[in-house]
Amino acid sequence: MSARIADDELLITRTFDAPASLLFALWSNPEHFKRWMGPGDFSCTEAEINFRVGGTYRAMIRSAEHGDNWFGGIYREILANKRLVFTFAWNNDGPSAGVETLVTITFQEHNGKTTQTFHQSPFLSVERRDSHVGGWSSAFDKLAAYAAQITKEFTA
Amino acid sequence: MSFTLSALADPTRRAILARLAAGDATVNELAEPFDISLPAVSRHLKVLESAGLISRGRDAQWRPCKLNTEGLKSVDDWLARYRRFWTGSFDRMDSYIAELKEQEKRDERKNRR
Repeated sequence: MSARIADDELLITRTFDAPASLLFALWSNPEHFKRWMGPGDFSCTEAEINFRVGGTYRAMIRSAEHGDNWFGGIYREILANKRLVFTFAWNNDGPSAGVETLVTITFQEHNGKTTQTFHQSPFLSVERRDSHVGGWSSAFDKLAAYAAQITKEFTA
Repeated sequence: MSFTLSALADPTRRAILARLAAGDATVNELAEPFDISLPAVSRHLKVLESAGLISRGRDAQWRPCKLNTEGLKSVDDWLARYRRFWTGSFDRMDSYIAELKEQEKRDERKNRR
């Protein structure tokens, strides 16, 4: 139970048969971005990317069943071929509308293959967001330790 | 839904929920592991309560807090949706990379001729 609560963030690690520079370009170049964004039944037909720290991006994925879905955010950290941090929110009336999330992606290249670690978590209002950058991971580490301890006590 | 998520976005509130997963607790017990005041903990509890993540007992003096697992269900659904979205996108990323590599090979062959 505790583990499930601590896990209200998303972590997806995946290794691709490509150098980090290519993976980075797939996120930063709108022409590449449009070719893969969205699951199989969607196509990404619009993508405007202002790729600089503080710059915004805005894109749309479309499917016959789910219609047009716009999303966007702001780039917060850019470290070429290594690390990318941006906000992500849906601009529609869906159940996740208005919930701003923070996406952190890191790339680790090894022998021509690259492991992409993708992390996404919800976060507080705009005013409190800045105080979270930096303090966020250590807070999670503390929580993880606390949850682990409780789980141990709980199952002992 | 967005209310539940913003309630969960705070690390202290998440730790409070983790504690309640181990059993009901009073405000004092919940405050103990944190370096924050009782009123601050009470404020966190109010947020959790209005988000439907916890409920509080009627006993005016103790009002023990209880985890409301129903409230967490919506968070699970939210996560599942995002997981499908990204996993599906990364599948396409994989195919697109294969496509780019094919293209590169074709171009190399062309250049050699």
